[in-house]
Formats: sequence, structure tokens, C-alpha cells
Amino acid sequence: MKFEDYNPLEEKVFKIMDKKGKIINTDDMPNFTNDQLLYLYRTMLLSRTMDEKQLSYQRQGRMLTYAPNIGQEATQIGSAYALEKEDWIVPSFRELGAWLIHGVPLKNIFLYWYGNEWGSHMPEDVKVLPVSVPISTQLQHATGIGMANNIKKENNVVLTYTGDGGTSGGEFHEALNFAGVFKAPTIFVIQNNQYAISVPRIEQTASKTLAQKAIAYGIPGIQVDGNDIFAMYVATKEAADRARRGEGPTLIEAITYRLAAHTTSDDPTKYREDAEVEEWKTRDPILRFKTYLENKGILTKEWDEKMKKEVENEITSTFEEIEGKADTKIEEIFMYHYETMPPILEEQLKEYKDFLEGGKNNDK
Amino acid sequence: MDISKDILLEIYDRMVTTRFFSERINEFFIKGIMHGTTHLSVGEEASGVASCMALDKGDYTTSTHRGHSHAIGRGMEVIKIMAELFGKVTGCSKGKGGSMHLADFDKGHLGSNGVVGGGFAIATGAALTQKMKDTGKIVLCFFGDGASNEGSFHESLNMASVWKLPVIFFCENNLYGVSTPVSKSMNIKDVAVRAKSYGIPSYIIDGNDAVEVYKTTREAAKYCRSGQGPVIIEAKTYRYLGHSKSDECEYRCAEEVNRWKKKDPIIIFKNYLIENNIANQIEIKRIEDKALKEIDLAVEFAKNSPNPPLNALTEDVYA
Repeated sequence: MKFEDYNPLEEKVFKIMDKKGKIINTDDMPNFTNDQLLYLYRTMLLSRTMDEKQLSYQRQGRMLTYAPNIGQEATQIGSAYALEKEDWIVPSFRELGAWLIHGVPLKNIFLYWYGNEWGSHMPEDVKVLPVSVPISTQLQHATGIGMANNIKKENNVVLTYTGDGGTSGGEFHEALNFAGVFKAPTIFVIQNNQYAISVPRIEQTASKTLAQKAIAYGIPGIQVDGNDIFAMYVATKEAADRARRGEGPTLIEAITYRLAAHTTSDDPTKYREDAEVEEWKTRDPILRFKTYLENKGILTKEWDEKMKKEVENEITSTFEEIEGKADTKIEEIFMYHYETMPPILEEQLKEYKDFLEGGKNNDK
Repeated sequence: MDISKDILLEIYDRMVTTRFFSERINEFFIKGIMHGTTHLSVGEEASGVASCMALDKGDYTTSTHRGHSHAIGRGMEVIKIMAELFGKVTGCSKGKGGSMHLADFDKGHLGSNGVVGGGFAIATGAALTQKMKDTGKIVLCFFGDGASNEGSFHESLNMASVWKLPVIFFCENNLYGVSTPVSKSMNIKDVAVRAKSYGIPSYIIDGNDAVEVYKTTREAAKYCRSGQGPVIIEAKTYRYLGHSKSDECEYRCAEEVNRWKKKDPIIIFKNYLIENNIANQIEIKRIEDKALKEIDLAVEFAKNSPNPPLNALTEDVYA
């Protein structure tokens, strides 16, 4: 595929598979083996089940706040699958599928959402940065790593994510401008899930598409059907190839939808219609991919059932490993900013401990 | 669009006043008579003045660190600007702000600004006020090529466009952010293409042509006033002197400076006035003499004004 063929000003969206799982663009269809296809499907199942489980644990009071990915699995998994092991992922906070593909252990993910700092401590060979909660600030880290790659003459690329709301942050502008002028090998994926918490896409910005914001930085920008795993893979792969050839960054707007709430503290029925959600359910990325695999005879009912059980067991047993055993100590809040704790943090730690002690005394 | 003789001559008056003013300030800094720092607009008089002249009474402006042309363009009294640069109590900010705090709210001038990109959000907020109060007034926000790389540019233009606020974002592209040429700070040739990011219209104009600057700004102002939202105008221009008083311009060659001096905005405009029989040499001379005299008087006024007292230091910070 060529980015030039998908000018966002003409509202051309890159697609390979329609919502019924039919291949509508055979020219760009990637050549995956059956094992690869099933691996992608299994990862989608793992992501979806993990979301469902964590939501239910949270409602049972066994987990803290959680941001589900339901509906956005193809965007995350398709894009991350286009990377090499040595490439970097710089996430925001809704990229479960990308984490799973790039090798983040389930245990880390649970620890993170359990409020334990060790969740962000990735294995040495997993090139994934910790979650970035402040909206769009991670984009600058991604540009910086890309620039470092250029300086060190390494051939790795960086894949980073933000949401539709994140495109309005000043950091988005500064990061993409620098990436453009310094030709950073960075791929910016906007997960346009139609809402920034409760703000709909149309009220977020006056431009017709988010992809056209690439024009401001002299880089390619493309709209992709984010619920089409093949299209997401191919577009990201092309962006990665460009980056490796020294041609600089790319902006990909993945058009998708968050089928669940923003986080566990949000009630989306307050700001969107059920009919809209129902319509998007017909474009469910997993359903679509499953239909494709079934029609091709690659996925059988037995295999599907077996996989569902397998991922569920994997999730349940990992959660059991940490539940009740991963509470954070007060010290840990202060420990990891510096190699050794500076006096000012030691003071704050003491003050905090005294405060907690005082609190106990007051209760008496 | 016909521009009246009065307006054309007033533009010329304010342009030469800016030029003479800037040259005098430069001399004071070199001689060590004036302190602090300053950013001079020599070479950028058309973009700064003619755009301000295209606004209506009651419209607002936000300026930059290079704001003398904007202050004079909005009709601020030269004595108040001069006194401010001398740090005297008679200055527009009581002598406590200097070159980067030239403001006159009665004239709608919300002030020059020491922060690169500092004006965007102020202008957007002022425009939101005009819209909410339905005043029919607009805001013009000056900025440089370098400032267009700031996050505040993006956030302000995004908000102004999505809420259709009446603001003209006016870029004086003088090709350098201090010593960094535009080509090394952005991967695009024209700042104006950034309008695509916000779905708004834009113009690219010769910033050294006062008539073009005036006409384009009038047109953009009409668009904004009609409630259709913001506009970007990019005026290509050039500063002859250094970025600030401590810049020797070692990053650019003399040929480039000389090439731009051949397109001097004041000479171009003077020739236009004479060739179109709008003014003769005598009238031109009279305007220039008047401007020089005004500056001489302003210098006298400033020198004779008192310094602010020490206790003024903590005043005017909070209401």
C-alpha cells in the first residue's frame, strides 16, 4: 500500500476486511500463516477476557480503577504486531493488546492496575515504557527515543499511541513537529475511539479528520479502519519500513470505538446513545476476524472453546498469584524516582509516616 | 478595496515612527543609556503596523517580544512607550515592565509578551469573551515562526477553531527563531499550512507590502466578525537587526540581509504613495519630520520622568 493513495483530505480510509469478515482489498492482504492468524486471534481473546475479568474484579472490590480496551483490540494488536522485538512501544494507558503482543507478562499488567510500582518494571528484553497517564505527554518520549535511535545509528523504530482527545494537547504538536524536522523513526497511532471521556470527536477539533494534522508537520498521515486487524498491521508495517529507511515519522488515525466505559469510574450512558453503541457492536473487531477465520476453515468451534478456557485459566491463575500479595508499602511511593533517596524525599516519607501514625492516635 | 488617503498616510506615519523609534532604541542600548533587553522590529514595520490599522476601534491585539510596531500600530502614545523602556513611572507599565510589557487596554492592546507563544491563549480567551458577550469585536494575535512550534499554538488554534472564535492568528515569519532558520525547526515551508490541522482558512502574503497586509487583514477581520471562526495570516518578512540586543547575527550572511533591504517595507510603501499620487515628497517629509520630533519629545519626557520608588516593586502583581 502507498500512503499517498489515502489522502485524509479526501476522506479516504485504508481498509482490507469489511465488517462481515470479507476481504475487500486483496492487493494489500498480508501473507500470514495459519499459526500467525490463530496467534493474533488468541491475543485478541486474551485482551478481551482480561478486560472482562479486570472489570469484574474491580466491581468486586478486588482491583482498583481500570480502563478497558473492549472494541479496540484490532487497533492495538494489529499495529503492535508490525514491530520487531527490539522496537519500542511508548503507551498511554489503553494499550493492553499492544502490551500483550510485545511481550509484557500478564503479571506486570495485573500489578500495574493493582497499584503496584513493580508492574511498570518490564523484563529487560521487553521494550515497553511504563504507562503515561497525563494525556499525550508520552508522545514526546516517543519522539525522543526515535531521535536517540538516529543519533546512535540504530535501526529500531518507536510505536506510540494517543487518543482522539490527546491530539488537542500541546505535547502532540511539539512531539510531531520535532519528529518531522528531525526525521525520528516514530509511528504515532491515534486510537480515535470517538470520545475523550465524554467529549465526542466532533467537539474535539474542527478538522474533518485527525490524520490531516500530519500536514502541519510535513509527514504522511492516514486514516485506517481500526477495527480491521489486517489494515492496522499493513499500515503500521509500511510506516515502520519507512522509518527504518530513514524517511521519518508517520501519523496513523485508527478509526475505532470504545464499547465499554472510559474507566471504571465512568458511566457512558450519560453521554452517548445505546443505538450508537449497538451499531458499533456490529463492527466488533474480534467478531469480524473470527468470521474471517471460520469462513477460511482456520478456526474451528472446538479450538475456539479450548482457547477461551485456556486464556481464562491463564488470567485467573495469574491474578491469584498476586491477589493479596502485592500491596504496596508506603516507602515504595518514594523509592523509585532516584537511585538513592534524596534528603527531601526522606523528609517527606517521614512526614507521611508521622501523619499516618498521628491518624491512628487520633482514632484512639 | 479602496483605502482612504487618511488611513494610508496614518499607516506611513506609524511605520516610520516605528522605524525611527527602533533605531533610537538601538542607539541607546549600544551607548549603554538604556538597560535590560529589547527586540527591534526594523524591517518588519509593514506587517506590524498595517495589520493593526486594519482593525476597528474596540478590537483587541496580543503582541510578542518584538512588539514596538504593534504598540505604535495600535496608536499607543510614543511617550508612554519610551518612558516604559527607560523604566520610568510615566511608562505604560509604570516603568516596571520594559519592552516586553507594552500594553494599553483602552486601545485594546493586551500587551507585548516575554514568553514565546505566550499570546495565543490570551488572544483565544479574549476572543471567547467577544463571542460570549456578542460584542462584534475581534482579536488579532501576533506570533513568530518559532512560536508556531509551541504547544500553546496548537491548543489555542484548536480551541479557537472548534468554538469558531473571532481571532486572526497573524504570523510575522521573519525566517529565524533567534538563530534557528525555519527549515531547521519545522518540516514544512509555510506556517500557514498548519491551518489544515484546524480546518480553517489561511493566507500567505508579502509582509513587506503594507497595502497587501492591510487589505488581507481587513478581509480576514470581516470573515472573523461574521462568526465563521479564526484565520491564519502568514506575512513573510525579515528583521534587519539581531534577535535581541545581544545577538550579532553570526548565523546569516550579509547577502541575505542586503537582499531583504532591497525590499524595504518603508521604501516600497513610500514609492506606492508617490506613484499613486496619494502623497508628494513634501507630505512624506512632513510625516517623517513629525515622527522624529515626536520621538525627540518622548526621549526628553522619559529622561525627565522619575524612577519608580522601591516600594513599587511589590505593587501591581495581584489585584
